[in-house]
Amino acid sequence: MAAANGGDSVPEAWDDISGGTGDAGGEMDSGFGKKPALNVDAPVFMPGQNVFAPAFQPFVPTVPNSSSPESTNTDNAVPGDQDSPQKDGTQNSEDAEADNQKEPEEWDQEDEKPEADQQGTEDVDDEKEEDEDEEDEDDDEPIVVPKKKPAEAVKIRKDHINVVFIGHVDAGKSTIGGHLLYLTGMVDKRTLEKYEREAKEKNRETWYLSWALDTNTEEREKGKTVEVGRAYFETEKKHFTVLDAPGHKSFVPNMICGASQADLAILVISARRGEFETGFERGGQTREHAMLVKTAGVRHLIVLINKMDDPTVNWDVERYNECKEKLLPYLKKCGFNPKTDIYFLPCSGLTGAYLRYAPEEDLCPWYRGPSLLEYLDSLPSMNRENDAPVRVPVVDRYKAMGTIMLGKIESGVVTLNQKLMLMPNKTLVKVVSLTMDEEESEDAFPGENVNIKVTGVEEEDVSPGFVLCSPENLCHTGRIFDAQIVILEHKSIICAGYSCMLHIHTCAEEVTIKILICLIDKKTGEKTQVRPRFIKQDQVGVARMMVNGGMICLETFKDFPQMGRFTLRDEGKTIAIGKVLKIID
Amino acid sequence: MATNGIDGESSADRNVEIWKIKKLIKSLEAARGNGTSMISLIIPPKDQIARVNKMLADEFGTASNIKSRVNRLSVLGAITSVQQRLKLYNKVPPNGLVIYCGTIITEEGKEKKVNIDFEPFRPINTSLYLCDNKFHTEALTALLADDNKFGFIVMDGNGALFGTLSGNTREVLHKFTVDLPKKHGRGGQSALRFARLRMEKRHNYVRKVAEVAVTLFISNDKPNISGLVLAGSADFKTELSQSDMFDPRLQSRIIKIVDVSYGGENGFNQAIELASDALANVKFIQEKKLIGRYFDEISQDTGKYCFGVDDTLRALEMGAVDILIVWENIDVQRYNLKNHSTDEERILFLRPEQEKDKTHFTDKETGVEMELMEQMPLLEWFANNYKNFGATLEIITDKSQEGAQFVKGFGGIGGILRYQVDFQMMEPMLDEFDNFDLDDY
Repeated sequence: MAAANGGDSVPEAWDDISGGTGDAGGEMDSGFGKKPALNVDAPVFMPGQNVFAPAFQPFVPTVPNSSSPESTNTDNAVPGDQDSPQKDGTQNSEDAEADNQKEPEEWDQEDEKPEADQQGTEDVDDEKEEDEDEEDEDDDEPIVVPKKKPAEAVKIRKDHINVVFIGHVDAGKSTIGGHLLYLTGMVDKRTLEKYEREAKEKNRETWYLSWALDTNTEEREKGKTVEVGRAYFETEKKHFTVLDAPGHKSFVPNMICGASQADLAILVISARRGEFETGFERGGQTREHAMLVKTAGVRHLIVLINKMDDPTVNWDVERYNECKEKLLPYLKKCGFNPKTDIYFLPCSGLTGAYLRYAPEEDLCPWYRGPSLLEYLDSLPSMNRENDAPVRVPVVDRYKAMGTIMLGKIESGVVTLNQKLMLMPNKTLVKVVSLTMDEEESEDAFPGENVNIKVTGVEEEDVSPGFVLCSPENLCHTGRIFDAQIVILEHKSIICAGYSCMLHIHTCAEEVTIKILICLIDKKTGEKTQVRPRFIKQDQVGVARMMVNGGMICLETFKDFPQMGRFTLRDEGKTIAIGKVLKIID
Repeated sequence: MATNGIDGESSADRNVEIWKIKKLIKSLEAARGNGTSMISLIIPPKDQIARVNKMLADEFGTASNIKSRVNRLSVLGAITSVQQRLKLYNKVPPNGLVIYCGTIITEEGKEKKVNIDFEPFRPINTSLYLCDNKFHTEALTALLADDNKFGFIVMDGNGALFGTLSGNTREVLHKFTVDLPKKHGRGGQSALRFARLRMEKRHNYVRKVAEVAVTLFISNDKPNISGLVLAGSADFKTELSQSDMFDPRLQSRIIKIVDVSYGGENGFNQAIELASDALANVKFIQEKKLIGRYFDEISQDTGKYCFGVDDTLRALEMGAVDILIVWENIDVQRYNLKNHSTDEERILFLRPEQEKDKTHFTDKETGVEMELMEQMPLLEWFANNYKNFGATLEIITDKSQEGAQFVKGFGGIGGILRYQVDFQMMEPMLDEFDNFDLDDY
């Protein structure tokens, strides 16, 4: 992982952190690697299998095949690779657990050809790197191919993916989100026309699309999302929960909460002259959000270069490439592998170009890849832990004939009438109803974003950050813990006694650094300088921290990454990211 | 601050002065005497000594009628003592005069006569004569309280916090949480109803904040703060500032509206930080800036800094210390010990846990127990002697973020140096924690 990312400074370290233990990286890659599993015959669909299938290799060959009949495609490449990666001689001479590091290389080589086939339309003068990216995407794309089996697909439960929209304020996150809802039929035309009329009255014509997600009057008046908007739509094979994060810097805490539930992030960039630059410079939210979603555990990033229809841009490929080139190094630094984790796409949230349908070729001849929805639909299914004990961090709760909690199921299966333990208060509750995006359900699987109605606890006794657990296997709680931290940005030094806000899963609490235990050399990973007095920007260290407010739910990163990674924020800035190493008390 | 030139120099001195008075008040407050024999006398500026003398003479007459012999004698004794002390002044000093006199009972149960007279660092506008079983220091405390008190209201979607900042004290007056409906996307046919409920709840919240603000920041029909800072993450703060429900007396005091990302304590801290240009004269802000400067020296690794008792003293002796920064509650004692056999004097600086270790008090070579010549808190010694080293002394609190770091991370003592000094030996950290097994991580 680290190697694939190239030798960067800061993020490299972070990547070490996230990927260092190996399981996070592995898990993730395999998650995506599993794509084909989805496309295989419906009955076979079993998340959790083939975890270690060599990540992307299987579909590489499918790319050239995509032009040829589909039958071959599915038969030869997809199922074969997936189900028995090791036996497959043609492709996987390597071990199934081939090093992640190797994959990208192989990829590149093999991709050369497919690229030509596939992307004939694409401009040749595109940068090499870019091409690679696109290829990745294209690689993913062929998966869409087996669309022939919708009948079976309907029967199975659609794969549930949580998508968060991130990006600088006014980049167009809500508008794109609203447009997607419209294109997928979640918002009918009449409502939208109503919005359009109302928006026109306020002389805010371009805002009407975002009103599908910005439901509060304050949000509509200012055109700024404040709280995370929530909606859902379905594609042929997938069910998406859309989380529309606020872009304004005062509302970053809300955004973190949304990001903590996401599997996939869509980074919206405004290509309009000046807007891209402000969003990206220091203090802009583009950087911060990208870093935050990475810390929240999001492994795959789609970068939408928005507002391509703007008069200052006018589908200019130069501008598109400029944005892309400026973004890439930073995203790489954040720990996203440009080859496997990032996909770039131009679009227009207002006109809807490349959201569902590609515009006319003469408008944008240089990009003919999949549209956003096509791409989303083609994504591999996530690796979910069905057999693990239940963990549902509570995002929010409200009262409506009972206590209802919102949250994404991180692991385990929740069923009706199940008894669950609400941590850290150890209250035994019973699930009385499960609602998934307005649909009642008997059970809920990991990755699904559910409203759980429970009995046994009052709404007032539940706070965001609580965790629903299986009673036989409780999550850990603690007040004092040791953690590895990477200081991203802080004007002076940090030493014992420093207090700031901690964001871990959906929980936000104030913490104080009790003591600095040691510094870690970023290059070698060795522990240097035991008991340092202070830690500075760009340094990595181990610190003991105490939660000022009392017990919170957390796990060591090793055991359960989703609940073991955190962000430290202070004075409106993200100052550090880290992972829990040991829970002391 | 010391960097502000001549004026700053005197203000730093004044801060030391303030600290001394604070300490004095603390000791006076703790003192208890026999009967009602403890006299607190405060003479405002421009009063006349003669008038006070006459008043004391009258009191002397009244007091001689006290029945209890012990009480009578001690009251008379105290009054005489005050009269004698007044003779030292031919007129009331420009800032007024404060005299405390009486017999207090020490911890060991012994009696001790005290007679303290001083001129406060700021004009004191109180006239007071009281005989009681304790000293009355309220007027002095009021004097210490910075007249510039700033109110803070931090409100976000989860709750509100009311606080004040005055001098170097940051105080949370009140906080409460609210439960406002979030956008759950609930709706359908009741969407409008939910929206209405939501608006109503928000409106009520703003009303409640406005009402609490009045009870906290308005006393005797007057605002008790000289400025008000509104902070919050969403639009609540602007809504509040423009609302009719918000008292116009407070509205006119708003000096700044700032955007903070969090509510609660963290939001309070950030609000102070963001409003610092509007509050530049507040000691708290100056303190933050000073320690911020110290941290900058460290982060830039200029070598122009020191910390820890030993290093700091060495730097002081070299005359290298420009600004000496000490935590107000630092619990290091300075011992002056003498070895009888060799007549050699030694100075030790010990923390409370080190004091218990008796080996510090014996001479290592001869094994002779050394005689204790003098013992005083290190800070007091600094306050008396810092000028000899050409340094300015800044006494800080651990109330601010930076202050807390300075105390926890650097032991509460350090200095900004004029030039780079190499300290060969690092003072080992005092280990209250067990040793860490680094392999765990």
